[in-house]
Amino acid sequence: MRPMMPVLPMMLAGAISIGLFGCPSSKNLVANGEAVDTSQLSPALQTDYLVFSQRCSKCHALSRALNSGDRDDLFWQRYVTRMRRQPASGIAPDDEPPILRFLHHYSESLRADRGGQK
Amino acid sequence: MNRWLLFCVTTLATLAALVLPSRAGAVDRNFAGSAQLDYHFVPERTARDGTPQMFEGFTLESAMKLSVDVSDHFSANVKVCFGCHGFETDMAYVDYRVADELSIRAGRLSPSFGAFNLRHDPANHRLSDKPLVYDMGRMMRMRDWNQGVLPSPFPDNGVEVSGTHWFGQKIQLDYAAHAVSGFKGDSTSTDLDFVQSRTGSLYYVDNNARPAAGGRLALTARFSQFTDATLGASAMGGTFDPNNDLTYLIVGGDLSFRFNKVNLRFEYLLRRQEFDTSQPSRFKYDVPSNGNYFLKHGGYGELEIPATRTLDLVGRVDFMYRSGNLPVASPLQARSGVFRYTLGTAYTIERGLRAKFSTELWSFSDEGVTGRHNAVSAHVALVGAF
Repeated sequence: MRPMMPVLPMMLAGAISIGLFGCPSSKNLVANGEAVDTSQLSPALQTDYLVFSQRCSKCHALSRALNSGDRDDLFWQRYVTRMRRQPASGIAPDDEPPILRFLHHYSESLRADRGGQK
Repeated sequence: MNRWLLFCVTTLATLAALVLPSRAGAVDRNFAGSAQLDYHFVPERTARDGTPQMFEGFTLESAMKLSVDVSDHFSANVKVCFGCHGFETDMAYVDYRVADELSIRAGRLSPSFGAFNLRHDPANHRLSDKPLVYDMGRMMRMRDWNQGVLPSPFPDNGVEVSGTHWFGQKIQLDYAAHAVSGFKGDSTSTDLDFVQSRTGSLYYVDNNARPAAGGRLALTARFSQFTDATLGASAMGGTFDPNNDLTYLIVGGDLSFRFNKVNLRFEYLLRRQEFDTSQPSRFKYDVPSNGNYFLKHGGYGELEIPATRTLDLVGRVDFMYRSGNLPVASPLQARSGVFRYTLGTAYTIERGLRAKFSTELWSFSDEGVTGRHNAVSAHVALVGAF
């Protein structure tokens, strides 16, 4: 079987070019990609968010959780526990409190954006 | 049950579950889904004898999933997918968790095997297609090769016992053991029949009375807040023919590292596949007394790097190799192999919405329809998750 390694740089250039120049720039369409704008979080919540963003992006995009809407604490507690029990989740029991604190704040902020309407 | 009827019933049940108030009974419901439209561009002709050797052009993969946490111990999941072969039930199971270390799942489920299958939803992986060993339909010359080693997903009816345990905050140990219907094939099959294994027209029931069994063991070590590694081993096997004469055994190993948001993954799969040799004239080569099986194995290495907050770069090298006898008409040889090199990007347009671009370079040991060993293809996809 003939190796094709010399072609790889060309493929890389092509793929990156398409990705970088084939799409609108992020400034026009996306403020924060999948992530949350942490500048609006308190230092303590920023720490919680770091745990959330690291642990909850291992198997899926953060949007899976962030686009779930404003949910109450019981929902998030069961949701995060179910995810923690996934094989090789990397979510330790001690990771749950910071993740839940962030999701609680996130849900509250979504609710506040809608004038407190659930 | 008619597939459309099944889909309508599932959709109605999903909508009803969403509309009904949930707080009163403290039952939590979460409705999620994803859709990926991919365009696969292949410059060269790939059809052999008028039969396409791969899925070119547009393909759609979409899914809707309802998760219900009835209590802290009892939950249920139903997931319906629509893909190249229509509607399919990817999940329909109940979970009863006695403790973190003991959970029982029963219904239609994807047995725990390998590292990739947990991310098989196109919204959960950054490239348009799956690694070769898990490929289902997007592999070049897929009919010659009869797909990957273990086409993913592989939902099946059965039961799985699993659990996870943390030793302190650094080490996580997972286990899973399952018994499912298993893959199917005819008594004269020369390989697994993946269509028969999942088509509703032949009933979603076992074709023999003997369950297939398997399991997985994985160890995750956390080296720092932002660095961890997982080492896993999986196996599944059983008989696939109605007479319980022919067996398959699939084993796999996986190793993945995570450095902050950078992922480096390696996985290897091997399938030992028996076939019926009662008619030696059906085969391309002589059939020795111990020649009633072939080996199909392969692996991949994949690096996923978030270059910016909105752009991920992905590089993957994968290969597959087959050794053993073949049907007379097969264009493969006693030993055939394929390498694929992929480079791609995933661009986040908005939270939950991505555009994927990738180019693939294929290198086969055997000549294709046009007499070439190498080929190029490209994917452009849009995937959304909610």
